[in-house]
Amino acid sequence: MKLRKLAAGSLVFCMVAGAMASSAFADEIVINYPTFQVGANTSAPAIAELVNRFNEEYAGQYRIEVEEVPGDENYADKITVQIASSETLPPVVYGAGQKLLDLALQADAVKDISEAVDADPDWAAMYTESWEEVNCRDGKKYASSMESEMIGYFYNKELFEQAGIDGPAATWDEFFEDLDKLKEAGITPLAMDTADGAWCTQLLVGAYLASTEEGMEFLKTKYPTDYNNEAMINAMAKAQELYQNYTTLDAVGGAYENAANNFFSGNVAIICNGPWMISDFSDESKTEAGFADKVGAAAYPDSFVYDAPIEGMFVTKQDDPALEEAAVAMVQFFTSNEAQAVALDLSGMVPASSAVEITDEILEKYPLLGEFLSQASACENRASTLTGNMVPGLEDIWDNELPNLASGASTPEDFCQVLTDFAAANPAQ
Amino acid sequence: MKRAKLSPGERAVRIFGYILMILAVIVALYPILWVILSSFKTNKEILSSGLSLPEHFSLDGYKQALEMAPIFQFFATSLMISVTATVLNVLFLSMSGYIFAKKRFRGKNILFWILSLSMVIPTTALLSPVFTVISKMGLYDTKAALIIVYIALSMPVSLMILRSTFSAIPDELEEAARMDGAGFLKNFFLVMIPCAKGGMASAAVLAFLESWNEFTFALILTSSVSTRTLPLSLSYFTAQFSFNYTALFAAITIAVIPSIVIFAFFQEQVNQSLVAGSVKG
Repeated sequence: MKLRKLAAGSLVFCMVAGAMASSAFADEIVINYPTFQVGANTSAPAIAELVNRFNEEYAGQYRIEVEEVPGDENYADKITVQIASSETLPPVVYGAGQKLLDLALQADAVKDISEAVDADPDWAAMYTESWEEVNCRDGKKYASSMESEMIGYFYNKELFEQAGIDGPAATWDEFFEDLDKLKEAGITPLAMDTADGAWCTQLLVGAYLASTEEGMEFLKTKYPTDYNNEAMINAMAKAQELYQNYTTLDAVGGAYENAANNFFSGNVAIICNGPWMISDFSDESKTEAGFADKVGAAAYPDSFVYDAPIEGMFVTKQDDPALEEAAVAMVQFFTSNEAQAVALDLSGMVPASSAVEITDEILEKYPLLGEFLSQASACENRASTLTGNMVPGLEDIWDNELPNLASGASTPEDFCQVLTDFAAANPAQ
Repeated sequence: MKRAKLSPGERAVRIFGYILMILAVIVALYPILWVILSSFKTNKEILSSGLSLPEHFSLDGYKQALEMAPIFQFFATSLMISVTATVLNVLFLSMSGYIFAKKRFRGKNILFWILSLSMVIPTTALLSPVFTVISKMGLYDTKAALIIVYIALSMPVSLMILRSTFSAIPDELEEAARMDGAGFLKNFFLVMIPCAKGGMASAAVLAFLESWNEFTFALILTSSVSTRTLPLSLSYFTAQFSFNYTALFAAITIAVIPSIVIFAFFQEQVNQSLVAGSVKG
């Protein structure tokens, strides 16, 4: 009899506890967060950790449910379709250099977060001039960055030594002399590409473009519509020369992975890319053991480095104001200095906020990143990438036309004219 | 029985024929073998020496593929969605194929061509409207959404095949059944369907392959792991600045095997479907 009472009491207790727990979680707001930072993406560990931390901190109040959308392009395609369909967007969207903020703004789908940002002094302090350029429109704060696109180049110290080169060049003249020295030593100097936006090539072209005043001004122009200027034509002429004389045969038609593999395999001495590549230098499925010790990092000649926050996370307009509030809390959490420090630690993501301290522990964990950041900090000239500022759709024309430029089928002037024709016909809204 | 001796000219023609067939087999099989072999290589081997054999046979790619993406769950979902879409597609389209082939009604040809024309609308143009309709129906992120879309995507091809199939069945058969007292439904299910098995199998194979391999709508119309299909799993292994080709090819191997098996078993029907309608329309 006692046992029965005990069992009945336990059951009643469980039911009451269950009901209380379920009522506590009934008010929990779920934020559906689609992200491409999963799978092979180098940021995946950092994002997974931040989601866990957010869910712990806001347990019972807010909860992020991750929607895995593997592949950067797939993510951009999916969000673009959702914007075009005028359907409610996910509460938080990451712009991620895919030009999604302007697209969503055109559809009047983005919430102005100025009030929330200004209410938090640490958050407001992040909005420097470069942040405002990327994340603000018409004086209103719409997005918040968590990562910076700080990019230089990597070089193979062993191959440099074989060619009698002491270290990275300080000027472009020295840089091109070094390319000749490498060639004379039988070493292919550069990793280049033409496919998928020709990432490595566009970094090199953009950096060279920044070496003149006119070029730098052009590089800093958001969505230019006229590429027929002397600096751009000269830069494309240089690219043509480099394709024809200083790179591998698979550069034409090749994508980033081909260029990267040439560098990992020691086939080329130099590759332009960002610090996210550093962890690959010790990945033995891509390169030989000990390769990381052979790699050096450098800023570009003439004291130039790519340095711009990547278009950040933005909150979209929702029918439920409570969901919008939850989304703002998520963006604030993910782009806080603490979150950026976690992302740096776990995935080597360069913080977008200058307030994030690069600790000795980080420098010990990522020595090459430390080497690069110390050089980058001394650079006087900074801008965002060439293709990052192109009008939507122009990147496809850019990589379709590059093989013609590389083979000599089109001249630098023709190439710039093609870019101009498209950009002028499709200006950004 | 003694074989007729071939003249030197005939022998040359036969040898040439064999050489052509061997070349065709190599061209057809090489990409599949290349993918399977690559799933045992390292990333470096794949990019540096694509044509060579793996230095060491390792199953790491398969292990990584299964760790990075829930491939088996996606596999099960793909199978469920593809089979359901195929069965419903063939069931409904055989009904309409029969009507288009055997019945007379006003506007029949115009209606048939309107339905067939949907084949030439590019997928990109369909994305936004389909997404809106599915969302408004409350079917976003459901298996039903993909099943409906896949039935529709395979509709024009299935309709063409099945209309040709039913057209090829003699009208006398139907008339005889009617004289024996068979009604419309009995006639369709017990007389026509058994005679159209070949065409139905052809339509089923093509509809299944279309559903099994479809990527874009699966990406746009689903959000949770429980509704995602196998082609999406392949995107887990390459990012803009990162790649794991070994795992990618392991995942492709897992993904393509069912398609190859289905095609191997039903290749006769597929081949017939490609020439269906060329004799009698």
